[in-house]
Amino acid sequence: MTAPLDTEPAAAPAAGPGDERSAYRGVLRYALAKAGGAVLSIGMVIVATFFVFRLIPGDPAIAYTRDVPLSPEQLDLLRHRMGLDKPLMQQFLDFVLRTIRLDFGTSYEYKRPVIDLIGERVGPTMVLVGTGLVISVSLGLWQGTRAAWKHGSRFDRVSTGISLVLWSVPTFWLGLLLLMVFAAGVGPIPGIFPTRGMEDIDAPDGPLYLLHVAHHLVLPCLTLVAVVYAQYLLVMRSSLLDEIGQDYVTTARAKGLRDDEVRRRHAVPNALLPTVTLVFINIGFVVGGAVSVETVYSWPGLGLLFYEAIKGPDFAVMQGTFIVVCTAVIIMNTLADVVYRVLDPRVRSA
Amino acid sequence: MTRMGARLAALGLTLLLAILPATQAMARQAPEPGKKIVRLGVTQAVDSMSPFLAVRLVSSSIHRWTYSYLTVPDPKTLQPSPDLAESWTTSDDKLTWTFKIRDTKWSDGRPVTAQDAAWTFNTIMTVDAAKQANGPAVENFESVTATDDRTLVIKTKKPQASMLDNPIPIVPKHVWEKVGDIGKFENDVYPAVGSGPFIAVEHKKDAYVKLKANPGYWRGAPKIDELHVIFYQNPEAAIAGLKKGDIDLIGRLDAAQFQSLAGNPDIVQWNTPGRRAAYLQINHGAQTIDNKPVGDGHPALKDPKVRQAIHYAIDKQALVDQVLNGLAVPADGSVIPPMYKDFFWQAEGDDLVTHDVAKANQILDDAGYEKGPDGVRTMPDGKRKLEMRFSIHTDTPVEEKLAQYLTGWFKDIGIALSTKKLEPSKFTEETGFTGLFDIAISGWSVNPDPEEILATHLCSRRPTAGGEGGGTESFYCDPAYEKLYQEQLSELDRTKRADIIKQMQKRLYTDAPVIALYYPNNLEGYRKDQITSITSMPEEKGILYGASGYWPVYSLDAVATPAAGSAGGSSTGLIVGGVAAVVILGAGGFFLARRRRSVADDRE
Repeated sequence: MTAPLDTEPAAAPAAGPGDERSAYRGVLRYALAKAGGAVLSIGMVIVATFFVFRLIPGDPAIAYTRDVPLSPEQLDLLRHRMGLDKPLMQQFLDFVLRTIRLDFGTSYEYKRPVIDLIGERVGPTMVLVGTGLVISVSLGLWQGTRAAWKHGSRFDRVSTGISLVLWSVPTFWLGLLLLMVFAAGVGPIPGIFPTRGMEDIDAPDGPLYLLHVAHHLVLPCLTLVAVVYAQYLLVMRSSLLDEIGQDYVTTARAKGLRDDEVRRRHAVPNALLPTVTLVFINIGFVVGGAVSVETVYSWPGLGLLFYEAIKGPDFAVMQGTFIVVCTAVIIMNTLADVVYRVLDPRVRSA
Repeated sequence: MTRMGARLAALGLTLLLAILPATQAMARQAPEPGKKIVRLGVTQAVDSMSPFLAVRLVSSSIHRWTYSYLTVPDPKTLQPSPDLAESWTTSDDKLTWTFKIRDTKWSDGRPVTAQDAAWTFNTIMTVDAAKQANGPAVENFESVTATDDRTLVIKTKKPQASMLDNPIPIVPKHVWEKVGDIGKFENDVYPAVGSGPFIAVEHKKDAYVKLKANPGYWRGAPKIDELHVIFYQNPEAAIAGLKKGDIDLIGRLDAAQFQSLAGNPDIVQWNTPGRRAAYLQINHGAQTIDNKPVGDGHPALKDPKVRQAIHYAIDKQALVDQVLNGLAVPADGSVIPPMYKDFFWQAEGDDLVTHDVAKANQILDDAGYEKGPDGVRTMPDGKRKLEMRFSIHTDTPVEEKLAQYLTGWFKDIGIALSTKKLEPSKFTEETGFTGLFDIAISGWSVNPDPEEILATHLCSRRPTAGGEGGGTESFYCDPAYEKLYQEQLSELDRTKRADIIKQMQKRLYTDAPVIALYYPNNLEGYRKDQITSITSMPEEKGILYGASGYWPVYSLDAVATPAAGSAGGSSTGLIVGGVAAVVILGAGGFFLARRRRSVADDRE
């Protein structure tokens, strides 16, 4: 799940200790270099998108008109409207220029600009995956810290075990299971949560609307948290375990500091660093939504849009969503690198 | 993070879970007491609310409920009956149709006129962007004119017996002529003006469409007040929704989904003959429209004897029992399912092909296809073994199972069959345009007028030399079939036309460019504690949702919403929610207590 950190050593010379201004300049230069790299990566994603989606077997015009009998003239017209009758180089240039202007074309299925469709669905996805991220980070860090601090204890074994099991469970299956039990109800357990979507047709207005959405959010969010919190738990647990073995922790303990103070003030802040990267990268994936969860619960987000587009197939929507998600991941990855450098002096002086 | 954070998190979680039951009760606006609402679950999102653009089944269903057509299929006989056209006449040369338009009103109160109908047809005929949904339906139209407010005249280039099955919803000219670009207009101004039994009042993408009864509908307002069309991405969730009572009716179920409804006292399992035929498409020598061979079909399949032997090898009853859990009818006919009594043809006597492996082997032996030591036959010229591919779609368990059965039966007659799974677009291309297949699975839903399904086997539907085409199902091109097709098209007497259509099916059955396997049943379910009456189409054992007319939806009657407070469901919900809250609070308290103890441990 985690993309590897850029391990390339910082090119800028190490800033001298005490020289704040040059340290900031170093970070700034580093950030600019990283941003340049990100722009290049995004450019490559755009190029790759164009060619990869043309490698998909089948003529898009024919794929679009599946089950609709059309005359060759009608097909020609369609190809013309889709720009498929132009030379490949011309199509490529058009595509790049349009993409830079955030014009991802028009969805065949919905007959609307792809960027509008994406815009409409970013909100629901952010609500779902954002909430899921906050809960799973809190839960994962808390459990991971406790598990590491008391490693080998029953709490450690049980929480690590449970999280690993949940992590390996297919999201779709877990979602469906929760839906069957808590939304539909099984035997004596009545269904208390909605079976679909973010809101019902009779959703109330005003503050009650928030409650309404929260009610719909519970099961999708629970599914997402169950599946993703394990990685926070494990990263936190292992990096805290590393810290526990360090001399400074022993020193702090030897000074007679209270155990939870050693943990809170000394060990945990240092152990948090790898998690920062993880959180940033996952924020990138927030934009991509959780395809499985959104599909199970008919949550009207980006994941559902992408899934529908694949079923179509609706190439413009697939391309647009793909580029947006990749860009988000690249940007977040870059931010993670920069923030990491700011937070961790070791990276700065390396 | 640790102590304080964990406490806050625990408290937050507890509170969140505790207020949920309350949310359950509050977060729904109570519908007005006495209102009759039916909620329909669909597993396809609406692609467009514009009748010129929508191609998905769910969208065209909604248009059937919100707009009027010239004619609708009669709910009893499925024959065309008056809708917006009260009556019609045809000229002696069968080229001019004159419709008398009903004196009724649009839902905004303006009168419906023949000009509205003429504008609708002319727009599709002249504006490219408007052709998307129903372009082919006007291809044979020469001109459409309104001679006065009540008279619509349609002139056709050639006689067209299927004229009365015209699939085009008539839209109000006074609303639509103000639309700039029809290709971009979503028809999302609500309430949308129509003249059908319901009015579209709200649409949330990927979520729902809300329809209200049209009080001014010419046949009289529907019995229910509102019809909600609710989208589920996931069929399993939709089934759960039906069981729970979130929705009242669901259609288009597969066998497993349908069977999961068994045993629920509130749900009626609606299992009726379907409007679909599933068949094998055989590459009997695919050709382009100018008769040039295309693709790489196995040469043995050009031999009608081999196709016949294959037909004899298939045990259709076993397929129905084992693959479709008995929820289909084995096909002893061709592409039109028995649901359409008027047009259905069934093989009899010498024509009838039954499951007979010995006979299949005999046919192949006689035709000179000799079995080798490995049990696989070779062509009479000894050049090529009868090793063939069976093209199916990826991710379709039913087709995979079907492939296993066919492989076994084909082995019994000395044909080695291998399964080839294809993505949908690739599948369409190889089996419809490039001819890169031997045998493929296929199927089609049939309308009350079968013209379209019959046309998919015409010479003119084959692909052009450039590999483009107009939707052939079989690459078939047979002079006898063509002649019959033209005959039925200009035969306006329904009985005579049905006879010709039966002859066409017989030709398809005996020549076997396609081999019909079974007619899947139409599987639906509805809640009888909510829906008190519904009339299917046709009335006796017919289809509910997905029917080719608005009758089932129009005929719906439902239980009215009870007065607030007396609803059994919500009070049960409250009690259950209360119990859940107590349990959760208890668990939360226990958790906090444990937390406190462990913190105390730390302090030591």
